[in-house]
Amino acid sequence: MNTTNKPTNPGAPGPDSGTWVHTNPTDDNLRRALRTYAATLSADHTPPPAAAILFRAERRRRRLAIQRAERPLLIMQTLGTLFAFCAAAWLLYRFAPHTLPTLNPTTLELAIACTALVLTGCWAMLQASRNPSA
Amino acid sequence: MPSSLEHAATHPATVLSELAFQRLYEANSTNIHSYLLAVSNRRDVADDLLQETFCRLLLHPKSTAHLNPLELRRYLFRIATNLLRDRHRSGDTTPYADPPEPSTHPALDASLNNSIDIRAMLQALKPRDRELLWLAYVEGMDHAEISSATGLNRLSVRTLLFRARNKAKQFLAPGSPSL
Repeated sequence: MNTTNKPTNPGAPGPDSGTWVHTNPTDDNLRRALRTYAATLSADHTPPPAAAILFRAERRRRRLAIQRAERPLLIMQTLGTLFAFCAAAWLLYRFAPHTLPTLNPTTLELAIACTALVLTGCWAMLQASRNPSA
Repeated sequence: MPSSLEHAATHPATVLSELAFQRLYEANSTNIHSYLLAVSNRRDVADDLLQETFCRLLLHPKSTAHLNPLELRRYLFRIATNLLRDRHRSGDTTPYADPPEPSTHPALDASLNNSIDIRAMLQALKPRDRELLWLAYVEGMDHAEISSATGLNRLSVRTLLFRARNKAKQFLAPGSPSL
């Protein structure tokens, strides 16, 4: 607790001085009462040990590191799932027992771009897993 | 070769060593814990928020490396105040079953204890008023320091503290035990 007693003379500058704001006996009573209460609180309720906080921070740091490491994997999993879903839909559509139109050039380019993206992501993840300290 | 997880888990904390942290914790934990107890009026919340306050400091040591002890103290109060506000905004204001009792300690001034129930007074005030009164009267901060610790404008601190003090003074007036 901060026990430094600042001057509380009645002639001291008021609240707008920016230095100290408690000037009359009522303020002194309030300050004394609050500080007594603070002393009681700190005597009755000890804070948790520092080791508990270090442990909690360490656990949080590990969790954040795992989340960071898993983020690209999650992105690629999402993209892969999306791509697989699109591919399945296209296959169903393509091999359905009726006359099917062929893919137009734009759709074909999009499918190729998605495939390239997934393959590039897989390659990057493979490279990253070979060099874990990077 | 260590894995990236092992590396991340062991090296970032080197900016704030364990010994330095323990010194910092010993110097500030009691004050911040009392502050959290007084404002939240819940032991479990105060313990949790105190841990969270120092946890955040440990997780972002580089942002505080340039601060001197006084600035660091204000920074810690700022984190604690923000956490208290987040909790208040989330609506978790359930009163604790065993709130801090101020009247059991032998060091308590008996005459004051008879006339002022500080705990009741604090409970009757808004959380922001509690914060301001505590920082001004217990921690001895001036307006600029309170502004830094709470994120409020300095002129707003002056006005809000004035109002909070007037509310609190109603408890000091004889025969006016409630707000």
